[in-house]
Amino acid sequence: MDMLTQWVGWLPNLAPGVLVSLQLTGFSLLFGFPLGLLFAVMAEAKFLPLQWISFLFVEVGRGLPALVLLYLLYFSLPDAGITLTSLTTAIIALSWNAGAYASEYFRAGLAAVPLGQKEAAITSGLRGWTGFRIVILPQALRISTPPLAGLAVLMFQGSSLAFVIAVPELMSKAFQIASITFEYISVYTLTAVIYGSITLVFLGFVRVLERRLGRHLERR
Amino acid sequence: MVFSFGTRTPPTALTGEVVVSGLGKSYGASRVLSDVNLTMNEGEVVSIIGPSGAGKSTFLRCLNYLETPTEGTIEIGGARVVAGGKRPDKASLDHLRRVTGMVFQSFNLFPHLTVMENITLPQRKVLGASKEEAQEVANKLLKRVGLPDKAEQYPARLSGGQQQRIAIARALALSPKVMLFDEPTSALDPEIGLEVLAVMRDLADEGMTMIVVTHEMHFARDVSDRIMVMGNGGVLEIGPSEQVMSQPQNERTRQFLKAVLDR
Repeated sequence: MDMLTQWVGWLPNLAPGVLVSLQLTGFSLLFGFPLGLLFAVMAEAKFLPLQWISFLFVEVGRGLPALVLLYLLYFSLPDAGITLTSLTTAIIALSWNAGAYASEYFRAGLAAVPLGQKEAAITSGLRGWTGFRIVILPQALRISTPPLAGLAVLMFQGSSLAFVIAVPELMSKAFQIASITFEYISVYTLTAVIYGSITLVFLGFVRVLERRLGRHLERR
Repeated sequence: MVFSFGTRTPPTALTGEVVVSGLGKSYGASRVLSDVNLTMNEGEVVSIIGPSGAGKSTFLRCLNYLETPTEGTIEIGGARVVAGGKRPDKASLDHLRRVTGMVFQSFNLFPHLTVMENITLPQRKVLGASKEEAQEVANKLLKRVGLPDKAEQYPARLSGGQQQRIAIARALALSPKVMLFDEPTSALDPEIGLEVLAVMRDLADEGMTMIVVTHEMHFARDVSDRIMVMGNGGVLEIGPSEQVMSQPQNERTRQFLKAVLDR
């Protein structure tokens, strides 16, 4: 059978998996990015315990492979009396992972805003949260956008790991088809094409976003 | 008589008077500023000159607590802060920063905001001004600094001289009692610097109280009432501009002026 015909036949089975993958990635970023920002800010807090909490969260999230984090949560949460669906568990694990990395990108973005901006904010009466929100954060976010977009792509690809805890995402759907049809190369090629094309479309959007965010810096 | 308008309004009546006494700053054992005294009347302009590392900028930045002095007192426009001991409360610092406007060597306009937003946002957040009120003030100030047509531009589109004039407008928008200038023309080429100096000259003529750290000797001599010469973290001498320039009392001042004027 010709490969394209095979693919067309498999797509209806894979499509729900794509949706779950996107859902898993979307929620992981939705929780992970704000958490990352929060922990980036906490890392600079004057109140030391906040720094320690941030350090713990970030170093565990970055220190453990996502796969290990997935297994750990999947098997330990029920022991702690918390029963969640495998999708929810995967969202928690990947949010943690994404948040930990994102916090470093946010930290870099915040550190890259020139000190003079903070001073100008203070002398303009924009201190504390107001100055942070109006002056510092928008500039930091622009700087952090490219690495965060890269992280989003990694998280999308990393969402395939959730297959090991039986989340019915794209990879697990592909595996199911492969184990029935034995058409490994064909199935995984299609899977690769799907992951790849979604990533490319996303990166295209990011390109446009970056240009918009940098428009105020163009001299002409 | 004491007026009270809520937390945003300083608790005492505003005057342009500056009284700085015994101001000093140390980092551990190293002393970067010692016993600086300066009293100014409303409308007076004082230029601070001196070699690099003399403590000019540090002194200026202590006046609005961008740097924390370790001793002395600062009284500006009715705000009073005592250094040393525990850090002044937020209200005192807000008051001090409310009565002072600051212009930086590197302009420090907010690059992601338009010129109009740069000038109106502080008014809206600090003074609680409405958008229309803030824009009206901004338009007047833009006219005053000679850039009425740049309101909707982003700072990156402007020349350094234009950016610095906008920065002056931004500082003026909060109606400070005293303007602090930290080498406002040092990042500009001499010709472009003139347009900034012209705006500052107008400001001085209109009676603004100003403290200007500068290497512009003509400006110091012609525009300021007095010149304060700093060296090695202290005041070498202070006096009427003409006198300091033509008959400096201090040997180190003579040396510095000779080096600067002989160029």
